[in-house]
Amino acid sequence: MARALLFAACVLLLPIPAWAADTINVYTAWPESLSQPIFKAYTAKTGVPINFIRLSTGELVARATAEKNNPRADVIWGAPGDGFAAAKAAGIIEPYKAAGWGKIAHELKDPEGYYTAVSKNTLLFMSNAKLLKEKGLKPPTSWNDLLDPAYKGQIQTADARTSGTALTRILSIYYAFGKDEEKAFDYQKKLHANVQVYTKSGGGCTIPAAMGQAMVCIAHMPDAMEAKKKGYDMLTTFPREGVAAVIEGVALVKGAKNREAATKFIDWTFTKDMQDLLDKNEVYMLPTLPEGSVNAAVQALMKEAKLLPVDLEWVGKNRKRLVDRWINEVIKE
Amino acid sequence: MSPAPAPVSSPRAALRDPVLAPVVVLLWAAVALFVLYPVTRLLALMFWDDGPTLAAVVELVGSWQHRRALWNSLALAGLVGAAGTALGFAFALLAVRANLPRWVGTVLDTIVLLPLISPPFTAAIALIFALGPRGLISYHVFGIAGLNIYGLGGTLLSETLTYFPIAYLTLKGVLANIDPTLEDGGFSLGARRWRVFRTITVPLAVPGIANSFLLLTAASLADFATPLILGGTKFPVLPTQAFLQITGLYDMRGGAALSFLLLVPALAVFVAQRWWTERRSVITVTGKAGAATRVRSLSPGAVAALVLVCALTVLLVLTFYLLIVFASMVRALGADNSFSSAHYAHVFSGGLKAIRDTLVIAAVCMPVGGLFAVVLGYVVARTRFPGRRALEFAAMINYALPGTIVGIAYLVAFNDPPLALTGTAFILVICYVFRYSLAGTRATTALLAQVDPSIEEASASLGARRDVTFRRIVLPLIRPALLAGMTVLFIRAMTAISATIFLVSLSWSLVTVRILEGITNLELGQASAFSVMVILLVYAAVVLSSLIMRRLNAGSLGQAGTLLGG
Repeated sequence: MARALLFAACVLLLPIPAWAADTINVYTAWPESLSQPIFKAYTAKTGVPINFIRLSTGELVARATAEKNNPRADVIWGAPGDGFAAAKAAGIIEPYKAAGWGKIAHELKDPEGYYTAVSKNTLLFMSNAKLLKEKGLKPPTSWNDLLDPAYKGQIQTADARTSGTALTRILSIYYAFGKDEEKAFDYQKKLHANVQVYTKSGGGCTIPAAMGQAMVCIAHMPDAMEAKKKGYDMLTTFPREGVAAVIEGVALVKGAKNREAATKFIDWTFTKDMQDLLDKNEVYMLPTLPEGSVNAAVQALMKEAKLLPVDLEWVGKNRKRLVDRWINEVIKE
Repeated sequence: MSPAPAPVSSPRAALRDPVLAPVVVLLWAAVALFVLYPVTRLLALMFWDDGPTLAAVVELVGSWQHRRALWNSLALAGLVGAAGTALGFAFALLAVRANLPRWVGTVLDTIVLLPLISPPFTAAIALIFALGPRGLISYHVFGIAGLNIYGLGGTLLSETLTYFPIAYLTLKGVLANIDPTLEDGGFSLGARRWRVFRTITVPLAVPGIANSFLLLTAASLADFATPLILGGTKFPVLPTQAFLQITGLYDMRGGAALSFLLLVPALAVFVAQRWWTERRSVITVTGKAGAATRVRSLSPGAVAALVLVCALTVLLVLTFYLLIVFASMVRALGADNSFSSAHYAHVFSGGLKAIRDTLVIAAVCMPVGGLFAVVLGYVVARTRFPGRRALEFAAMINYALPGTIVGIAYLVAFNDPPLALTGTAFILVICYVFRYSLAGTRATTALLAQVDPSIEEASASLGARRDVTFRRIVLPLIRPALLAGMTVLFIRAMTAISATIFLVSLSWSLVTVRILEGITNLELGQASAFSVMVILLVYAAVVLSSLIMRRLNAGSLGQAGTLLGG
């Protein structure tokens, strides 16, 4: 009995199995279905195994911050830009300019190289076709369409305190209203009257909208495309005033234990080889490398979209203020 | 404070006790290392930012949403405590006092356990699909469109349905321990049923009622998953605010401050419960045999009312879970309702490791945590060891704090050498043991409150050492509590997520993390299939442990040993 207990204790205390010399530990906010095939492709190509944990962006940053003195991850790969802005402020990532860094457009990377965009993302309106038909409505094609009383209690979208999608929405509205913050918040207060609930995760409204619990869901493009792929009868539209183009990035963790292997992996991120995988694996985002191939479905969708470039530096400085304002002016009753 | 029921020794004698003293030292050491130390690290983080700071507290007091969250949390917890205890009491009465056929009890136990053993988020999401604007029950059965379930109503309903089984399990054990001959005494003195119920049954059940109220209130105060999905922005509560502060606003300091604010009501509930249960003697297990009599404390009308309430609850719960089973067996719920085994195929290929890891961790948690719980409960209820209250108090801190905070505190405390436990399974086990043993401790103190200490005194006066008395007298008497404690631990280890999301590692994964992943990843089918697997596994374990217990327990405590059915 005692021996069995001792053995059990040893097994439990066993740390992460002795690291192969070249192993990369990754924290990602992308769903496993999207991230794992990409990591596997790298392992297949180089023989370097990648261990990863999937966490929501906020959890990821909180976890990496708590581990700051003894980092467990080498790379943060696939998380929205606001998460990286927070990670930079928390001092948990360090600058690294990958081999292909120069080719990435200015608005898609941190000027000091703390983080760089893996892909470009945006949001759209996803409407339940059946419910729209019941009410004789056309899918919304303008931010102002959403203020129609017919949508009262029928819109779900993300909570700005938890979700990068919500920040994309706030930014989209800000840029769509010509960077007039007063107008933008005035609009959001009106929109609030039609919102059924603010979900905690960005994609949280997708299934409710697909199941008819809400008519419209304002969400990121990949969520909408996944829902359509699954067979839900959803209509995707863009507001004609435009939507903000946001980034999904990659960064090197400060004090990474497998620094060299990690930087090689980041280099690979900005090769055509990896950027084409976004298309092949149906990630439904736009590549950031100019020569990366674009998924046909995304390309078709993008024809209707007016992408508004985002000033990363301005967002980094104003994010907290925008969210606070949203809390204190939009949702306060 | 009035003395505990005739403790066996004085404080001075307790200190010299050769068995008790080392045990208490060990308990204190464990609690200090795995509860107080991480919490202290977090407090340091909160009040230290290159120098002492009160910024977090200042911000806390100034924010309207945090103030509202505090009141909402208190109101919700009180309501859940009351509603859940009432519902649990109804189920317990029906199970042990209504003379229903045995199989009804078994069926009740089986279904009632469902909400308790399902992973978080699952119940809340099932509630949306059952009672939402286009819900199965609300819209398709009753034709009500546009029902708003986000806010207090939905959160209260979901939490009550999730937590009332705790009340049921606690109260069933307590009611079963009340000797029906006491009620018979009332009847033969000419009292009517209501009077007997009011003056005998209910007062004897008070420790159980107070316990279950405490457990439910505390569970609701700490629950973040349900309000996260159902609270919306209209009904902020503290645990979700703390979570949002950390993961949404990247403000660990503010989140920690909010969490410590939560400790205040949690500890108040704890003190109130203490005061309430110690005021009266509720000893019913005296070693003197009571005659087996037919229970007749409920009128046929009362039984019918109870059956109605319980049947409706069971029906609602069943609907939720049939929805989940259905979602796990179709291609894509709502879009393509044709049968598909793809989700289970995924569970048995890619998901197998997570299931195995979770089982290993749960299996280790059960004996460790169960023993910790009953020993702690015994020390608190039956000895006069100085500082035992403080010990009990300290041991419940991890339970009262929101999981997010416990997870982060553990990460901060145990990431660096010499205590670099992150990345091992050990940290997960420790987290569960010190977070979820409270149920076992509570069950132990509640049961011991019903057991006359003279039984132990007899053993002691016959010369048995304290450990012998504990093993041969106390342990058999509190087996139901041990069983309940271990079962709750297993259930939590299989279903908890809020703390462990920060502690899972590359080599140790958990099923609940896969479920959360499925939900955030629009893989409703996969999430449902994992949920069904968790529920089946927990059922299997519950049945098994109750069978083993019954064997061990043969004849010793009668039906009280069958806390979990059968």
